[in-house]
Amino acid sequence: MGEAQQLARRQQQVEELCAGAIRALSGEADLHFRGRRLHRGRQRLPLFAPHLHPVIESDDFASFRGAADGLALRLSLSDAALHASLCPPEPVERLVFELLEQMRVESLAPKALRGVAHNLRHRFEQWSMAFHRARLTDSARGILLYTVAQVCRARVTGEPVLEETEDLMEATRAALAPALGNDLAGLRRQRHDQAAFAAHALAIARLVGELLRSADAEEGEHSGAARTEDDEDSERAAFGLVMELDARVEEGIAAAVSGHSRAFEAAQAQYRVYTGAYDRELAATALARAEVLQEHRHQLDRLLAASGLNLARLSRELKAVLARPVPDGWDSAMEEGRIDGRRLAQLIASPTERRLFRSEHVAAEADCALSFLVDCSGSMKQHIEVLAPLLDLFVRALEQAGVANELLGFSTGAWNGGRARRDWLRAGQPPLPGRLNERCHMVFKDADTRWRRARAGIAALLKGDLFREGLDGEAVDWAVARLQARPETRKLLVVVSDGCPMDGATNLANDAYYLDNHLKQVLQRHERAAQVEICALGVGLDLSPFYSRCQALDLSMPPGHALLRDILQLLARPARR
Amino acid sequence: MSELNTLHPDRRLSVRDTFGIDSDLMAPAFGERDEHVPEVDEVYRFDRDTTLAILAGFMRNRRVMVQGHHGTGKSTHVEQVAARLNWPCVRINLDGHISRLDLVGKDAVVLRDGQQVTEFQEGIVPWALQRPVALVFDEYDAGRPDVMFVIQRLLERDGKFTLLDQNRVLAPHPHFRLFATANTVGLGNLNGLYHGAQRLNHAQIDRWNIVATLNYLPAEEEMAIVAARVPALGGEAQHALLRSMVALADLTRKGFAAGDVATLMSPRTVISWAENIEIFRDPAVAFRLSFMNKCDEAERPLVAEYFQRAFDRDLDEAYHLPD
Repeated sequence: MGEAQQLARRQQQVEELCAGAIRALSGEADLHFRGRRLHRGRQRLPLFAPHLHPVIESDDFASFRGAADGLALRLSLSDAALHASLCPPEPVERLVFELLEQMRVESLAPKALRGVAHNLRHRFEQWSMAFHRARLTDSARGILLYTVAQVCRARVTGEPVLEETEDLMEATRAALAPALGNDLAGLRRQRHDQAAFAAHALAIARLVGELLRSADAEEGEHSGAARTEDDEDSERAAFGLVMELDARVEEGIAAAVSGHSRAFEAAQAQYRVYTGAYDRELAATALARAEVLQEHRHQLDRLLAASGLNLARLSRELKAVLARPVPDGWDSAMEEGRIDGRRLAQLIASPTERRLFRSEHVAAEADCALSFLVDCSGSMKQHIEVLAPLLDLFVRALEQAGVANELLGFSTGAWNGGRARRDWLRAGQPPLPGRLNERCHMVFKDADTRWRRARAGIAALLKGDLFREGLDGEAVDWAVARLQARPETRKLLVVVSDGCPMDGATNLANDAYYLDNHLKQVLQRHERAAQVEICALGVGLDLSPFYSRCQALDLSMPPGHALLRDILQLLARPARR
Repeated sequence: MSELNTLHPDRRLSVRDTFGIDSDLMAPAFGERDEHVPEVDEVYRFDRDTTLAILAGFMRNRRVMVQGHHGTGKSTHVEQVAARLNWPCVRINLDGHISRLDLVGKDAVVLRDGQQVTEFQEGIVPWALQRPVALVFDEYDAGRPDVMFVIQRLLERDGKFTLLDQNRVLAPHPHFRLFATANTVGLGNLNGLYHGAQRLNHAQIDRWNIVATLNYLPAEEEMAIVAARVPALGGEAQHALLRSMVALADLTRKGFAAGDVATLMSPRTVISWAENIEIFRDPAVAFRLSFMNKCDEAERPLVAEYFQRAFDRDLDEAYHLPD
């Protein structure tokens, strides 16, 4: 788990830097990564080319740089509409065409940016070597695609082909040369003109497509149905690597997985609740006896003391992030400024007195309300010993910084649907019942209660049997509604979660992504309305498929100042829509 | 003083020859150099649109405001145009503490024949108003908006100026000119970069006849400026270095526009970086000293990424994947 959290964290740091570089190189401010895919605002951008998607587990940082530079050049130098209008429909042709267009823009990297050209070359070599080492060049189709990619890139950019595989592709290269010769020459000549270049690229793509199809047919004749499993495996892998242009990039361990829900779409994206009869909203102090809470509080205080986190520093930094300067009365007895009428008598009494002026006093004031919404699903139980002291600290620091704050949680009243599911079974299991569990919303601390009064309530976080399942969408709606009732102008909601919405009974009775899609819908609605800023802290998880502003946290190590800084950066980061 | 009063523009200069701008205009110029005429900077390069706007101010008596980011040479631009025309030019740096009295004048105690007498002393505005002087309000948006109403009437052409303390009405000298430079367009500190910039009164902004925007120049121009300032980098051998430096500055500007970094490299930063390269002989060391250390610590890895893109070298601040 610790390793997965570190990887998620690392992935995010790398993506942040790469996205920053892409924004600077392309000059487009709303580009960012979500779920490992580049997005422009809310719109997901195409994959463009297979070598632009390194993975954190196996590729080096320079590869990520190269991929980022490739994406930036593609966005700024290629006309997407023209490209789409010329793009052939067949998958192989399309792949080659995309690849060639990518090489065209890569060859146009500005000379002033030496590093960019180097990064691009490095990334392409790394990708080629990975392709080769995965033994994808062993199959006839693999070596054909590989050779076309290598030869074309060498021609377009004027850089030599990869030395290590030069001999390997010699035969294929020689076979291709007569058919491709003309168009290859055209590629380099026309690389400044996208439309003229596309004509040559299309010709090459068609040729490759035909060659592959004829190779397939031949193979079919020779071996008939007796294709070995080995062949099929390597083929699938090859296509996985190069052809999933429309599909998602292969998910690593740490990105939240989501998909389409038929049930949700069938109901015209209307979220249904089978019965709300058992839903509860509880004050945390009602969850346990006072003695139990007292004991949890002692435990929490011990954890907090052991963590050695600095409250005053956090409070100061929160103030810097959230507060805005506002005029707040006057400073009198100043040596310059506006004359203070009340001090004129003093001037007469003591003419040498110079402190006769007053100036406007500016104070930092945070006109801001911030809610933490903690996912209390079963899997969060293992993180709560780290998280609870952290949240307690934040609540205190926010209070010191003058920010109204709430600590909320959501869970369910029972496992596997509880009474709501029993009702549904009794009613004869009508299809697509919608949400099927007892919703449980918990208030650990509300905005009007001071931390001193809420100490026991916050300690209830450590009560292990709260943690059941999670209905994120409804919880976000609830927390946002609570924030909207607050008078402060700026409103922030921070969702702390380690996974997607999860409720066994609802997922069984509808389908696996029913709650996911509801969460996405809720977030999209609130992000559009823009009254409440929603950010998310993913515990060892990249939540970017759901939230546009999110941060992966690594809680496997004892929380230190670096962790606090990550959270502060999330609060300070502007929303990219 | 009376000498200055009698000066008049007595010749016309070709704009093409004087400023290196493609235009057939002829600009009025003074024959004599007064002590208030700024020094001519031979290597200064004029931006076409801004120069034409400023010249319109001189030739047609228009009130011109030049707006642009810091370090783009707004004030210097006005000064250099004045220097070439031999037009006396006075620059005032506005700040939040400049008051009405400073601008208009005040009663002061002076010694006359051994006697202490109170006498009205003209401020800078009435002084300049009666002379053929180009008055430049620098950092116009830093002045307090209520104080700036002092010049409200002056902003009209032929607007007279009333000295309330003396019951005198001053008519401006026919060759008095008024300019202003500002970082913002009077809407206050919108991007967080210009602390202390005030929101200006729009009735006043409206009175400026011409608002010229001077933003960052095309890369070629900027390279030429840096090469002119720091001749050591002007050679053919240093061309690639210079090009990468300007490209890096451009990356920081785009990064700033996207909200990724809070600090950006102005042309002035590039020049001081170039000067520091002369001293330290290493672009990376000079870069750290002239720009990187001004950036917030959290932004340094990203700035190091920019540097890698332009120079293909990793700074110590760059991000590394742990092995």
